[in-house]
Amino acid sequence: MGPEGPRGVGPGRFPLVIGLGNEHRGDDAVGLLVARRVRPRVEGFGSVLELPNEATGLLDVWSGLGLVLVVDAVTSGRAPGTVHRIEVGSEPLALPFGMTSTHGFSLAEAVSLGQTLRRLPDRLVIYGVEAASFLPGRSLSREVAAAIDGVAQRVEQEVRRAAGREPPGDRAGGPSHA
Amino acid sequence: MTDRTIAVDYLARVEGEGALRVRIHDRKVEEVELKIFEPPRFFEAFLRGRSYLEAPDITARICGICPVAYQMSSCHAMESAYGLRVAPAVRALRRLLYCGEWIESHALHIYLLHAPDFLGYPDAIRLAKDHPKVVQQGLQLKKVGNALMTLLGGREIHPVNVRVGGFYRCPSREETDGLRESVETALTLSQETARFVAGLDFPKVEEDYEFVSLRHPEEYPMNEGEVVSSRGLRIPVSRYEAEFEEIHVPYANALQSVRKGGGSYLVGPLARYALNRDRLGRKADAIAREVGLEPVVRNPYRSIIVRAVEMVEACDEALRILREYRPPEHPYVEAKGAPDNTRCMAATEAPRGLLYHRYRLGAGGLIEDAKIVAPTSQNQKRIEDDLRDVVGRFLDMDDAHLTSECERAVRNHDPCISCATHFLKLDLVRN
Repeated sequence: MGPEGPRGVGPGRFPLVIGLGNEHRGDDAVGLLVARRVRPRVEGFGSVLELPNEATGLLDVWSGLGLVLVVDAVTSGRAPGTVHRIEVGSEPLALPFGMTSTHGFSLAEAVSLGQTLRRLPDRLVIYGVEAASFLPGRSLSREVAAAIDGVAQRVEQEVRRAAGREPPGDRAGGPSHA
Repeated sequence: MTDRTIAVDYLARVEGEGALRVRIHDRKVEEVELKIFEPPRFFEAFLRGRSYLEAPDITARICGICPVAYQMSSCHAMESAYGLRVAPAVRALRRLLYCGEWIESHALHIYLLHAPDFLGYPDAIRLAKDHPKVVQQGLQLKKVGNALMTLLGGREIHPVNVRVGGFYRCPSREETDGLRESVETALTLSQETARFVAGLDFPKVEEDYEFVSLRHPEEYPMNEGEVVSSRGLRIPVSRYEAEFEEIHVPYANALQSVRKGGGSYLVGPLARYALNRDRLGRKADAIAREVGLEPVVRNPYRSIIVRAVEMVEACDEALRILREYRPPEHPYVEAKGAPDNTRCMAATEAPRGLLYHRYRLGAGGLIEDAKIVAPTSQNQKRIEDDLRDVVGRFLDMDDAHLTSECERAVRNHDPCISCATHFLKLDLVRN
């Protein structure tokens, strides 16, 4: 785990945001970019981690934590930029998270393995942003770039709610994060 | 006369994705095409105009599974350009970092990607339902590898602490001592792993591989050595491109490596072990003997045992380094001067095999040209050769089972598709 790991910045029960992806693979960078956007906004009551790797490491990262939010690219055939929010229960993930990105063991597989081995956090929420392209060297597609702010805002709100730090009145639900 | 094509759009349990097309005509295998899309090509272009100091960080991003290998090959290349010699303690720490990557990568492949093939499960999740302890053991080993990478790399994924000339910061003795107990446990688990995988059932296959790896005068090779082959080649790394070339294949958006004037060759654990069996440490040597591992393994399915033996070697070597470690006076040596128009190269042993980097540096140490040859690109043609044999052996199988056997044959070599390809799609055509 990196220096920005959840246990490195505060109590292990802080809500944790994990951005997955590869910043050199077009829309695969979306999880990382959302994580970077969220980091300064949850300082002191939430932790943020970027993992550009295969997802088996997630089991070690999230085991024993309270709320964990993971942001990743997804390809389910919906329009690029579409945002999916899934609260993980006992069912396998229905979307092919990571299947067409470069993670060796995909997020969906890591969730299934975590369910089987009972190595999930208390609450696991996944945000998937529908991707257009994973080609190396490509910049983010317009649709995915446009989705980042909205996802970051929703993730921030969930962290605030869980940490008992409701957003200041002038920011709640507003567009001021843009 | 019948034609048969088999296509697999997504090759499960291979790092990343890729595509494969097999065409059978009149019960003969006519074509086997592994389709490759290569991120290293993008990174080669991305490196141009960057400082030599940036190469380790940039190339580490080529692969999420083996970032250390890319860092090490680029560091060694740049250090040769500037005539830098790192302190013995820094050299040892680099080897320790590489041990971490080998443990992490081999544990992932053995337990989560390869073992399901032998135990009759479609994937590690189904395996974990019936044998949770087996999968937990793999995850525990992988975690120890990650811990070593975190200690030395700053973080396990895309480590940020490695630099040309050494490390930005070297760990204290207290920090290294803190890992000894978990590495000791990992050594025991690795030995158990070797015993476990040696008891699996293996298809009886022998392939005529030309093995290629580094060979060091004293050590099992990781960071340094000459390039040797099982057919008598022995050259310094500087002559790599005189003996090996990359050719363009029309069906793939990539280059394939071959021996000049020759054919395919194999890099990776089978090659390293065959060419360096006598360089294994005492514990790895003992476990190889105990489980009856032949000195040269030509059965690709048995690569799972070789990986386990290499994991024992990496744990044992990590323990030795941790025991002997004394922090160096300076974590890195700085380059002096600027070598204009210098060509430099290096090769190290990534978990999946030899990884070659070559750079041309211009004024101020700016990279003018870069060439990166990943292990999977080198093995690509050899994997196609293995697949020809597999399809030939199982011609009478239905498409679903034949496809499954093809996938298994690819997985034997643990191709890091995220290094070398984006989509692996299997297309099997029977005519």
